[in-house]
Amino acid sequence: MLRGYVWLYVFILFGPLLLIVLFSFHSSPAQTFPMQGLSLIWYRKFFDNHVLVESLKNSLIVATCSASLTTVLGSMAALALARLQGWKKNAFGFLTFAPVALPGLFIGVALLVLFAQFGISRSLVTVALAHTLISLPFFLEASRSRLDYFDLSLEEAARDLGATPWQSFRLVTLPIVAPTLIGAAILSFAISFDEVIITIFTSGERTTLPIAIWSMMRQAMTPVINAASVMALSCVVLVIGSFGLFGWARRRWSLGQRRSARVEA
Amino acid sequence: MNPRERTGLFLAAPTVLYMAFFFVLPAFLLFVYSFYRSKAYVPIPDFVFDNYARALTSKGFWLVVWLSVKVGLSTGAISVAASFPVAWYIVYRTRGNALLYLILASWITSYLVRIYGWRMILGSNGFVNTTLVQLGIIDQPLDFLLYNPVAVVIALVHIYLPLTLLMLISSLRDVRPEYLEAARDLGAGSTTTLLKVIVPMINRGLTGAFMFTTVLAAGDYVAPQVLGGTNSVTAGLLISNQFRATGNWPFGAALAFVNFAVFVAVYFAFTNLLRLAGLAPNRRIH
Repeated sequence: MLRGYVWLYVFILFGPLLLIVLFSFHSSPAQTFPMQGLSLIWYRKFFDNHVLVESLKNSLIVATCSASLTTVLGSMAALALARLQGWKKNAFGFLTFAPVALPGLFIGVALLVLFAQFGISRSLVTVALAHTLISLPFFLEASRSRLDYFDLSLEEAARDLGATPWQSFRLVTLPIVAPTLIGAAILSFAISFDEVIITIFTSGERTTLPIAIWSMMRQAMTPVINAASVMALSCVVLVIGSFGLFGWARRRWSLGQRRSARVEA
Repeated sequence: MNPRERTGLFLAAPTVLYMAFFFVLPAFLLFVYSFYRSKAYVPIPDFVFDNYARALTSKGFWLVVWLSVKVGLSTGAISVAASFPVAWYIVYRTRGNALLYLILASWITSYLVRIYGWRMILGSNGFVNTTLVQLGIIDQPLDFLLYNPVAVVIALVHIYLPLTLLMLISSLRDVRPEYLEAARDLGAGSTTTLLKVIVPMINRGLTGAFMFTTVLAAGDYVAPQVLGGTNSVTAGLLISNQFRATGNWPFGAALAFVNFAVFVAVYFAFTNLLRLAGLAPNRRIH
Protein backbone atom coordinates (compact mmCIF):
# COMPACT_ATOMS: atom_id res chain seq x y z
CA MET A 1 0.00 0.00 0.00
CA LEU A 2 2.87 2.33 0.87
CA ARG A 3 4.39 1.55 -2.49
CA GLY A 4 1.14 2.46 -4.22
CA TYR A 5 1.04 5.76 -2.32
CA VAL A 6 4.61 6.57 -3.36
CA TRP A 7 3.70 6.03 -6.99
CA LEU A 8 0.61 8.19 -6.58
CA TYR A 9 2.83 10.92 -5.07
CA VAL A 10 5.23 10.75 -8.00
CA PHE A 11 2.31 10.71 -10.42
CA ILE A 12 0.80 13.83 -8.85
CA LEU A 13 4.20 15.56 -8.99
CA PHE A 14 4.63 14.87 -12.67
CA GLY A 15 1.01 14.72 -13.88
CA PRO A 16 0.51 18.45 -14.50
CA LEU A 17 3.89 18.65 -16.24
CA LEU A 18 2.98 15.76 -18.52
CA LEU A 19 -0.30 17.47 -19.41
CA ILE A 20 1.58 20.61 -20.42
CA VAL A 21 4.05 18.64 -22.52
CA LEU A 22 1.20 16.70 -24.15
CA PHE A 23 -0.84 19.77 -25.05
CA SER A 24 2.16 21.65 -26.38
CA PHE A 25 1.91 19.20 -29.31
CA HIS A 26 -1.85 19.62 -29.72
CA SER A 27 -2.99 20.78 -33.15
CA SER A 28 -5.84 22.89 -31.73
CA PRO A 29 -5.77 25.64 -29.12
CA ALA A 30 -8.26 23.69 -26.96
CA GLN A 31 -6.51 22.29 -23.91
CA THR A 32 -8.93 19.45 -23.23
CA PHE A 33 -9.34 15.80 -24.05
CA PRO A 34 -9.99 14.19 -26.46
CA MET A 35 -7.04 15.55 -28.40
CA GLN A 36 -7.70 16.29 -32.03
CA GLY A 37 -4.26 15.71 -33.47
CA LEU A 38 -0.59 16.41 -33.10
CA SER A 39 1.37 19.30 -34.53
CA LEU A 40 4.37 21.50 -33.90
CA ILE A 41 2.45 24.70 -34.55
CA TRP A 42 2.97 26.10 -31.03
CA TYR A 43 6.69 25.52 -31.27
CA ARG A 44 6.76 27.36 -34.58
CA LYS A 45 4.89 30.21 -32.93
CA PHE A 46 7.42 30.12 -30.09
CA PHE A 47 10.35 30.46 -32.49
CA ASP A 48 8.55 33.17 -34.49
CA ASN A 49 8.15 35.21 -31.32
CA HIS A 50 11.46 37.01 -31.03
CA VAL A 51 10.75 38.20 -27.48
CA LEU A 52 10.52 34.59 -26.34
CA VAL A 53 13.57 33.43 -28.30
CA GLU A 54 15.56 36.40 -27.02
CA SER A 55 14.52 35.64 -23.43
CA LEU A 56 15.53 32.00 -23.86
CA LYS A 57 19.01 33.18 -24.88
CA ASN A 58 19.08 35.55 -21.93
CA SER A 59 18.12 32.73 -19.58
CA LEU A 60 20.95 30.57 -20.88
CA ILE A 61 23.42 33.44 -20.45
CA VAL A 62 22.22 34.31 -16.95
CA ALA A 63 22.14 30.70 -15.76
CA THR A 64 25.64 30.04 -17.13
CA CYS A 65 27.10 33.18 -15.54
CA SER A 66 25.33 32.67 -12.25
CA ALA A 67 26.31 28.99 -12.07
CA SER A 68 29.94 29.92 -12.81
CA LEU A 69 30.04 32.59 -10.13
CA THR A 70 28.28 30.25 -7.69
CA THR A 71 30.80 27.52 -8.45
CA VAL A 72 33.80 29.78 -7.82
CA LEU A 73 32.40 31.27 -4.61
CA GLY A 74 30.77 28.03 -3.50
CA SER A 75 33.82 25.81 -3.98
CA MET A 76 35.96 28.21 -1.99
CA ALA A 77 33.26 28.50 0.68
CA ALA A 78 32.84 24.73 0.90
CA LEU A 79 36.58 24.26 1.33
CA ALA A 80 36.55 27.05 3.91
CA LEU A 81 33.77 25.32 5.89
CA ALA A 82 35.92 22.19 6.08
CA ARG A 83 38.73 24.23 7.64
CA LEU A 84 37.01 26.72 9.92
CA GLN A 85 36.14 25.79 13.47
CA GLY A 86 33.99 26.99 16.33
CA TRP A 87 32.00 30.21 16.05
CA LYS A 88 33.63 31.20 12.78
CA LYS A 89 32.34 28.03 11.15
CA ASN A 90 28.86 28.52 12.63
CA ALA A 91 28.66 32.18 11.64
CA PHE A 92 29.85 31.48 8.12
CA GLY A 93 27.46 28.54 7.78
CA PHE A 94 24.57 30.68 8.98
CA LEU A 95 25.44 33.57 6.65
CA THR A 96 25.57 31.32 3.61
CA PHE A 97 22.34 29.51 4.49
CA ALA A 98 20.20 32.52 5.49
CA PRO A 99 19.10 33.62 1.98
CA VAL A 100 16.99 30.49 1.43
CA ALA A 101 15.28 30.74 4.80
CA LEU A 102 13.71 34.03 3.72
CA PRO A 103 10.93 34.23 1.13
CA GLY A 104 12.22 35.21 -2.30
CA LEU A 105 10.03 38.28 -2.18
CA PHE A 106 11.97 39.70 0.76
CA ILE A 107 15.28 39.24 -1.06
CA GLY A 108 13.82 40.60 -4.28
CA VAL A 109 12.61 43.87 -2.77
CA ALA A 110 15.78 44.26 -0.69
CA LEU A 111 17.91 43.97 -3.84
CA LEU A 112 15.58 46.36 -5.65
CA VAL A 113 16.20 48.91 -2.90
CA LEU A 114 19.97 48.26 -3.04
CA PHE A 115 20.15 48.82 -6.80
CA ALA A 116 18.01 51.95 -6.55
CA GLN A 117 20.08 53.34 -3.68
CA PHE A 118 23.38 52.96 -5.53
CA GLY A 119 22.01 53.88 -8.94
CA ILE A 120 22.84 50.47 -10.40
CA SER A 121 20.68 49.98 -13.46
CA ARG A 122 18.96 46.65 -13.61
CA SER A 123 20.14 44.28 -16.31
CA LEU A 124 21.07 40.67 -16.88
CA VAL A 125 24.11 41.31 -14.67
CA THR A 126 21.96 42.18 -11.66
CA VAL A 127 19.79 39.11 -12.35
CA ALA A 128 22.83 36.81 -12.43
CA LEU A 129 24.17 38.37 -9.21
CA ALA A 130 20.79 37.91 -7.52
CA HIS A 131 20.48 34.29 -8.66
CA THR A 132 23.91 33.54 -7.18
CA LEU A 133 22.56 34.62 -3.81
CA ILE A 134 19.96 31.86 -3.72
CA SER A 135 21.88 29.14 -5.56
CA LEU A 136 24.91 29.47 -3.26
CA PRO A 137 23.16 27.91 -0.23
CA PHE A 138 22.01 24.97 -2.35
CA PHE A 139 25.47 24.61 -3.86
CA LEU A 140 26.98 24.40 -0.38
CA GLU A 141 24.31 22.04 0.91
CA ALA A 142 24.85 19.76 -2.10
CA SER A 143 28.64 19.74 -1.92
CA ARG A 144 28.94 19.73 1.85
CA SER A 145 28.14 16.09 2.57
CA ARG A 146 31.06 15.04 0.39
CA LEU A 147 33.48 17.80 1.37
CA ASP A 148 32.86 17.29 5.09
CA TYR A 149 34.32 13.83 4.74
CA PHE A 150 37.25 15.11 2.74
CA ASP A 151 40.38 14.18 4.62
CA LEU A 152 42.44 17.33 5.08
CA SER A 153 45.45 15.22 6.03
CA LEU A 154 45.71 14.11 2.38
CA GLU A 155 46.42 17.71 1.48
CA GLU A 156 48.86 18.08 4.34
CA ALA A 157 50.67 14.94 3.23
CA ALA A 158 51.10 16.49 -0.21
CA ARG A 159 52.49 19.62 1.40
CA ASP A 160 54.92 17.58 3.50
CA LEU A 161 56.12 15.92 0.33
CA GLY A 162 57.02 19.33 -1.03
CA ALA A 163 53.97 20.39 -3.03
CA THR A 164 53.05 24.08 -3.08
CA PRO A 165 49.55 24.94 -1.78
CA TRP A 166 48.35 25.38 -5.37
CA GLN A 167 49.91 22.08 -6.46
CA SER A 168 48.37 20.18 -3.57
CA PHE A 169 44.99 21.70 -4.41
CA ARG A 170 45.23 20.96 -8.14
CA LEU A 171 46.71 17.45 -7.86
CA VAL A 172 45.10 16.14 -4.69
CA THR A 173 42.01 18.07 -3.62
CA LEU A 174 40.48 18.96 -6.97
CA PRO A 175 40.39 15.44 -8.48
CA ILE A 176 38.60 14.18 -5.37
CA VAL A 177 35.99 16.92 -5.05
CA ALA A 178 35.47 17.74 -8.76
CA PRO A 179 32.51 15.40 -9.43
CA THR A 180 30.65 16.79 -6.41
CA LEU A 181 31.35 20.36 -7.48
CA ILE A 182 30.18 19.72 -11.03
CA GLY A 183 26.94 18.25 -9.70
CA ALA A 184 26.41 21.26 -7.47
CA ALA A 185 27.15 23.60 -10.41
CA ILE A 186 24.44 21.89 -12.48
CA LEU A 187 22.04 22.36 -9.59
CA SER A 188 22.88 26.09 -9.54
CA PHE A 189 22.27 26.32 -13.28
CA ALA A 190 18.84 24.73 -12.88
CA ILE A 191 17.90 26.99 -9.95
CA SER A 192 18.88 30.10 -11.88
CA PHE A 193 17.11 28.95 -15.04
CA ASP A 194 13.87 28.37 -13.17
CA GLU A 195 13.89 31.41 -10.88
CA VAL A 196 10.90 33.79 -11.08
CA ILE A 197 10.25 35.58 -7.81
CA ILE A 198 13.55 37.43 -7.42
CA THR A 199 14.04 37.93 -11.16
CA ILE A 200 10.86 40.01 -11.35
CA PHE A 201 12.47 42.63 -9.10
CA THR A 202 16.03 42.48 -10.38
CA SER A 203 15.61 42.37 -14.16
CA GLY A 204 15.60 45.39 -16.43
CA GLU A 205 14.34 45.54 -20.00
CA ARG A 206 16.06 42.35 -21.07
CA THR A 207 14.57 39.50 -19.21
CA THR A 208 14.61 35.74 -18.78
CA LEU A 209 12.33 33.06 -20.23
CA PRO A 210 10.30 32.46 -17.06
CA ILE A 211 9.56 36.18 -16.84
CA ALA A 212 8.52 36.28 -20.50
CA ILE A 213 6.24 33.30 -19.87
CA TRP A 214 4.94 35.01 -16.75
CA SER A 215 3.92 38.14 -18.65
CA MET A 216 2.21 35.99 -21.31
CA MET A 217 0.36 34.10 -18.60
CA ARG A 218 -1.01 37.30 -17.18
CA GLN A 219 -2.47 38.29 -20.53
CA ALA A 220 -4.15 35.20 -21.94
CA MET A 221 -4.10 31.44 -21.98
CA THR A 222 -2.41 30.42 -25.21
CA PRO A 223 -0.80 27.08 -26.00
CA VAL A 224 2.38 29.00 -26.91
CA ILE A 225 2.87 29.08 -23.13
CA ASN A 226 2.88 25.28 -23.17
CA ALA A 227 5.53 25.22 -25.87
CA ALA A 228 7.61 27.85 -24.03
CA SER A 229 7.31 25.88 -20.78
CA VAL A 230 8.45 22.73 -22.52
CA MET A 231 11.41 24.62 -24.01
CA ALA A 232 12.39 25.81 -20.52
CA LEU A 233 11.95 22.33 -19.06
CA SER A 234 13.95 20.63 -21.78
CA CYS A 235 16.89 23.04 -21.45
CA VAL A 236 17.32 22.13 -17.79
CA VAL A 237 16.62 18.44 -18.36
CA LEU A 238 19.23 18.39 -21.15
CA VAL A 239 21.85 19.94 -18.89
CA ILE A 240 21.08 17.59 -16.00
CA GLY A 241 20.87 14.59 -18.35
CA SER A 242 24.18 15.27 -20.03
CA PHE A 243 25.83 15.53 -16.65
CA GLY A 244 24.28 12.25 -15.57
CA LEU A 245 25.54 10.59 -18.73
CA PHE A 246 28.97 12.10 -18.20
CA GLY A 247 29.14 10.81 -14.64
CA TRP A 248 27.98 7.36 -15.71
CA ALA A 249 30.58 7.17 -18.50
CA ARG A 250 33.32 8.36 -16.16
CA ARG A 251 32.48 5.76 -13.55
CA ARG A 252 32.48 3.00 -16.15
CA TRP A 253 35.77 4.23 -17.51
CA SER A 254 37.48 4.35 -14.12
CA LEU A 255 36.08 0.94 -13.17
CA GLY A 256 37.47 -0.42 -16.43
CA GLN A 257 40.85 1.16 -15.67
CA ARG A 258 40.92 -0.41 -12.25
CA ARG A 259 40.03 -3.81 -13.67
CA SER A 260 42.75 -3.69 -16.31
CA ALA A 261 45.25 -2.49 -13.71
CA ARG A 262 44.39 -5.49 -11.60
CA VAL A 263 44.84 -7.81 -14.58
CA GLU A 264 48.26 -6.35 -15.30
CA ALA A 265 49.28 -6.70 -11.69
CA MET B 1 45.61 30.87 14.53
CA ASN B 2 46.82 27.73 12.80
CA PRO B 3 47.62 27.69 9.06
CA ARG B 4 44.59 25.52 8.31
CA GLU B 5 42.23 28.09 9.78
CA ARG B 6 44.06 30.92 8.03
CA THR B 7 43.52 29.19 4.68
CA GLY B 8 39.88 28.75 5.68
CA LEU B 9 39.43 32.46 6.31
CA PHE B 10 41.16 33.30 3.04
CA LEU B 11 38.83 30.94 1.17
CA ALA B 12 35.76 32.31 2.94
CA ALA B 13 36.60 35.96 2.24
CA PRO B 14 35.08 36.33 -1.28
CA THR B 15 31.80 34.77 -0.19
CA VAL B 16 31.68 36.91 2.95
CA LEU B 17 32.20 40.05 0.83
CA TYR B 18 29.58 38.95 -1.66
CA MET B 19 27.07 38.16 1.09
CA ALA B 20 27.82 41.43 2.85
CA PHE B 21 27.06 43.48 -0.25
CA PHE B 22 24.18 41.49 -1.75
CA PHE B 23 22.47 40.13 1.33
CA VAL B 24 23.29 41.92 4.58
CA LEU B 25 23.46 45.43 3.09
CA PRO B 26 20.18 45.12 1.11
CA ALA B 27 18.33 43.73 4.14
CA PHE B 28 19.71 46.62 6.21
CA LEU B 29 18.76 49.17 3.54
CA LEU B 30 15.24 47.75 3.39
CA PHE B 31 15.03 48.24 7.14
CA VAL B 32 16.27 51.81 6.83
CA TYR B 33 13.76 52.49 4.05
CA SER B 34 10.93 51.34 6.28
CA PHE B 35 11.43 54.56 8.28
CA TYR B 36 11.46 56.82 5.20
CA ARG B 37 8.57 58.90 3.94
CA SER B 38 7.14 58.58 0.47
CA LYS B 39 6.17 61.57 -1.62
CA ALA B 40 4.77 61.13 -5.13
CA TYR B 41 6.17 57.58 -5.25
CA VAL B 42 9.66 58.79 -4.32
CA PRO B 43 11.18 57.58 -1.04
CA ILE B 44 12.44 60.51 1.07
CA PRO B 45 15.05 59.90 3.79
CA ASP B 46 13.52 60.46 7.20
CA PHE B 47 13.08 58.70 10.51
CA VAL B 48 9.38 58.25 11.10
CA PHE B 49 7.30 55.37 12.40
CA ASP B 50 4.34 56.30 10.19
CA ASN B 51 4.72 53.27 7.94
CA TYR B 52 4.66 50.86 10.85
CA ALA B 53 1.77 52.71 12.47
CA ARG B 54 -0.16 52.56 9.21
CA ALA B 55 0.58 48.85 8.74
CA LEU B 56 -0.24 47.88 12.33
CA THR B 57 -3.51 49.79 12.44
CA SER B 58 -4.75 48.72 9.03
CA LYS B 59 -7.46 46.10 9.36
CA GLY B 60 -7.07 45.18 5.69
CA PHE B 61 -3.40 44.37 6.20
CA TRP B 62 -4.08 42.06 9.14
CA LEU B 63 -6.78 40.26 7.16
CA VAL B 64 -4.27 39.74 4.38
CA VAL B 65 -1.60 38.56 6.84
CA TRP B 66 -4.11 36.18 8.41
CA LEU B 67 -4.91 34.73 4.99
CA SER B 68 -1.16 34.32 4.26
CA VAL B 69 -0.65 32.57 7.59
CA LYS B 70 -3.54 30.23 6.80
CA VAL B 71 -2.30 29.57 3.26
CA GLY B 72 1.24 29.03 4.58
CA LEU B 73 0.27 26.75 7.47
CA SER B 74 -2.09 24.66 5.33
CA THR B 75 0.58 24.27 2.67
CA GLY B 76 3.17 23.33 5.29
CA ALA B 77 0.90 20.86 7.08
CA ILE B 78 -0.34 19.16 3.90
CA SER B 79 3.16 18.99 2.42
CA VAL B 80 4.66 17.43 5.55
CA ALA B 81 1.79 14.95 6.00
CA ALA B 82 1.84 13.95 2.34
CA SER B 83 5.63 13.68 2.10
CA PHE B 84 6.34 11.84 5.35
CA PRO B 85 5.30 8.36 4.11
CA VAL B 86 7.32 8.90 0.94
CA ALA B 87 10.37 10.01 2.93
CA TRP B 88 9.94 6.90 5.08
CA TYR B 89 9.73 4.72 2.00
CA ILE B 90 12.82 6.24 0.41
CA VAL B 91 14.94 6.05 3.58
CA TYR B 92 14.00 2.58 4.82
CA ARG B 93 12.75 0.72 1.77
CA THR B 94 14.94 1.79 -1.15
CA ARG B 95 18.65 1.55 -1.74
CA GLY B 96 19.41 3.66 -4.76
CA ASN B 97 18.82 7.36 -5.10
CA ALA B 98 17.02 7.23 -8.46
CA LEU B 99 13.58 8.06 -7.02
CA LEU B 100 15.05 10.88 -4.95
CA TYR B 101 16.78 12.41 -7.96
CA LEU B 102 13.61 12.13 -10.01
CA ILE B 103 11.67 14.05 -7.37
CA LEU B 104 14.46 16.59 -6.92
CA ALA B 105 14.54 17.18 -10.67
CA SER B 106 10.84 17.94 -10.70
CA TRP B 107 11.37 20.59 -8.09
CA ILE B 108 14.14 22.67 -9.65
CA THR B 109 12.79 22.66 -13.16
CA SER B 110 9.28 23.91 -13.12
CA TYR B 111 8.12 26.55 -10.64
CA LEU B 112 6.06 28.62 -13.05
CA VAL B 113 5.10 25.67 -15.20
CA ARG B 114 3.30 24.04 -12.29
CA ILE B 115 1.28 27.13 -11.47
CA TYR B 116 0.29 27.29 -15.12
CA GLY B 117 -0.54 23.59 -15.07
CA TRP B 118 -3.01 24.06 -12.23
CA ARG B 119 -4.71 26.86 -14.08
CA MET B 120 -5.08 24.49 -17.03
CA ILE B 121 -6.51 21.80 -14.76
CA LEU B 122 -8.87 23.88 -12.61
CA GLY B 123 -9.97 26.58 -15.10
CA SER B 124 -13.54 26.74 -16.43
CA ASN B 125 -12.32 25.12 -19.66
CA GLY B 126 -9.89 22.97 -17.73
CA PHE B 127 -9.60 19.23 -17.39
CA VAL B 128 -11.70 18.84 -14.25
CA ASN B 129 -14.62 20.81 -15.63
CA THR B 130 -14.62 19.41 -19.15
CA THR B 131 -14.31 15.87 -17.85
CA LEU B 132 -17.19 16.37 -15.43
CA VAL B 133 -19.33 17.94 -18.18
CA GLN B 134 -18.49 15.16 -20.62
CA LEU B 135 -19.40 12.54 -18.06
CA GLY B 136 -22.72 14.32 -17.58
CA ILE B 137 -22.17 14.91 -13.88
CA ILE B 138 -22.56 18.68 -14.24
CA ASP B 139 -24.12 20.87 -16.97
CA GLN B 140 -22.17 24.05 -16.35
CA PRO B 141 -18.45 24.35 -15.61
CA LEU B 142 -17.83 24.89 -11.90
CA ASP B 143 -16.40 28.37 -11.53
CA PHE B 144 -15.43 27.99 -7.91
CA LEU B 145 -12.52 25.64 -8.63
CA LEU B 146 -10.24 28.48 -9.61
CA TYR B 147 -9.62 31.95 -8.18
CA ASN B 148 -9.75 31.11 -4.51
CA PRO B 149 -7.29 30.35 -1.72
CA VAL B 150 -7.84 26.59 -2.05
CA ALA B 151 -6.52 26.62 -5.61
CA VAL B 152 -3.51 28.61 -4.38
CA VAL B 153 -2.83 26.06 -1.62
CA ILE B 154 -3.12 23.15 -4.08
CA ALA B 155 -0.54 24.70 -6.40
CA LEU B 156 1.79 25.70 -3.55
CA VAL B 157 1.66 22.21 -2.04
CA HIS B 158 2.51 20.84 -5.45
CA ILE B 159 5.43 23.26 -5.78
CA TYR B 160 6.94 22.73 -2.32
CA LEU B 161 6.31 18.97 -1.89
CA PRO B 162 9.78 17.99 -3.18
CA LEU B 163 11.50 20.51 -0.90
CA THR B 164 9.58 19.24 2.15
CA LEU B 165 10.40 15.69 1.13
CA LEU B 166 14.12 16.41 0.85
CA MET B 167 14.22 18.00 4.29
CA LEU B 168 12.29 15.11 5.84
CA ILE B 169 14.59 12.58 4.17
CA SER B 170 17.72 14.27 5.44
CA SER B 171 16.42 14.20 9.04
CA LEU B 172 15.06 10.64 8.79
CA ARG B 173 18.49 9.47 7.69
CA ASP B 174 19.66 10.20 11.24
CA VAL B 175 17.19 7.68 12.67
CA ARG B 176 18.99 4.44 12.08
CA PRO B 177 16.88 1.35 11.35
CA GLU B 178 18.39 -0.30 14.45
CA TYR B 179 16.45 2.10 16.69
CA LEU B 180 13.20 1.09 15.03
CA GLU B 181 14.08 -2.58 15.42
CA ALA B 182 14.89 -2.00 19.08
CA ALA B 183 11.51 -0.30 19.56
CA ARG B 184 9.76 -3.21 17.89
CA ASP B 185 11.66 -5.75 19.99
CA LEU B 186 10.61 -3.91 23.13
CA GLY B 187 6.99 -4.29 22.11
CA ALA B 188 6.15 -0.92 20.58
CA GLY B 189 3.52 -0.89 17.86
CA SER B 190 3.98 1.24 14.76
CA THR B 191 2.03 4.20 16.18
CA THR B 192 4.04 4.12 19.40
CA THR B 193 7.28 3.88 17.44
CA LEU B 194 6.24 6.84 15.34
CA LEU B 195 5.21 9.06 18.26
CA LYS B 196 7.75 7.99 20.90
CA VAL B 197 10.82 7.28 18.80
CA ILE B 198 10.74 8.84 15.35
CA VAL B 199 8.98 12.16 15.94
CA PRO B 200 11.03 13.09 19.03
CA MET B 201 14.22 12.16 17.20
CA ILE B 202 13.47 14.18 14.09
CA ASN B 203 11.57 17.02 15.72
CA ARG B 204 14.05 19.61 14.56
CA GLY B 205 13.94 18.35 11.01
CA LEU B 206 10.17 18.11 11.17
CA THR B 207 9.83 21.66 12.47
CA GLY B 208 12.35 22.81 9.89
CA ALA B 209 10.52 21.18 6.99
CA PHE B 210 7.15 22.47 8.17
CA MET B 211 8.28 26.04 8.84
CA PHE B 212 10.40 26.25 5.71
CA THR B 213 7.46 25.24 3.55
CA THR B 214 5.11 27.50 5.50
CA VAL B 215 7.30 30.59 5.18
CA LEU B 216 8.08 30.06 1.50
CA ALA B 217 4.43 29.37 0.66
CA ALA B 218 3.17 32.35 2.62
CA GLY B 219 5.67 34.63 0.89
CA ASP B 220 4.81 33.43 -2.58
CA TYR B 221 3.14 36.07 -4.68
CA VAL B 222 3.08 34.47 -8.12
CA ALA B 223 0.58 31.68 -7.41
CA PRO B 224 -1.98 34.04 -5.79
CA GLN B 225 -1.87 36.28 -8.85
CA VAL B 226 -2.55 33.47 -11.27
CA LEU B 227 -4.86 31.24 -9.23
CA GLY B 228 -6.08 33.39 -6.39
CA GLY B 229 -8.56 35.91 -7.75
CA THR B 230 -9.54 39.07 -5.95
CA ASN B 231 -10.46 37.50 -2.62
CA SER B 232 -7.10 35.86 -2.06
CA VAL B 233 -4.64 38.71 -1.89
CA THR B 234 -1.79 37.43 0.25
CA ALA B 235 0.75 39.50 2.15
CA GLY B 236 3.35 38.69 -0.50
CA LEU B 237 1.16 40.12 -3.21
CA LEU B 238 0.34 43.20 -1.15
CA ILE B 239 4.02 43.85 -0.44
CA SER B 240 5.13 43.28 -4.01
CA ASN B 241 2.46 45.73 -5.23
CA GLN B 242 4.07 48.45 -3.10
CA PHE B 243 7.35 47.96 -4.95
CA ARG B 244 5.98 48.68 -8.41
CA ALA B 245 6.99 51.96 -10.04
CA THR B 246 3.90 53.63 -8.58
CA GLY B 247 4.17 52.18 -5.12
CA ASN B 248 5.09 53.34 -1.68
CA TRP B 249 8.46 51.67 -1.08
CA PRO B 250 8.89 52.69 2.56
CA PHE B 251 5.40 51.41 3.39
CA GLY B 252 6.15 48.18 1.49
CA ALA B 253 9.38 47.80 3.47
CA ALA B 254 7.50 48.22 6.76
CA LEU B 255 4.91 45.65 5.64
CA ALA B 256 7.72 43.22 4.82
CA PHE B 257 9.24 43.55 8.29
CA VAL B 258 5.90 43.27 10.11
CA ASN B 259 5.18 40.17 8.03
CA PHE B 260 8.60 38.78 8.90
CA ALA B 261 7.94 39.36 12.61
CA VAL B 262 4.60 37.55 12.32
CA PHE B 263 6.32 34.47 10.94
CA VAL B 264 8.99 34.52 13.61
CA ALA B 265 6.12 34.54 16.12
CA VAL B 266 4.41 31.65 14.31
CA TYR B 267 7.69 29.72 14.42
CA PHE B 268 8.03 30.12 18.19
CA ALA B 269 4.38 29.31 18.75
CA PHE B 270 4.77 26.12 16.75
CA THR B 271 7.94 24.92 18.48
CA ASN B 272 6.41 25.59 21.89
CA LEU B 273 3.27 23.72 20.88
CA LEU B 274 5.35 20.69 19.91
CA ARG B 275 7.15 20.86 23.24
CA LEU B 276 3.88 21.09 25.17
CA ALA B 277 2.58 18.08 23.26
CA GLY B 278 5.66 16.19 24.46
CA LEU B 279 6.81 15.57 20.91
CA ALA B 280 9.90 17.74 21.10
CA PRO B 281 12.39 17.11 23.88
CA ASN B 282 14.62 20.02 24.77
CA ARG B 283 17.76 18.01 24.38
CA ARG B 284 19.05 16.13 21.40
CA ILE B 285 18.83 12.39 21.83
CA HIS B 286 21.27 11.44 19.13
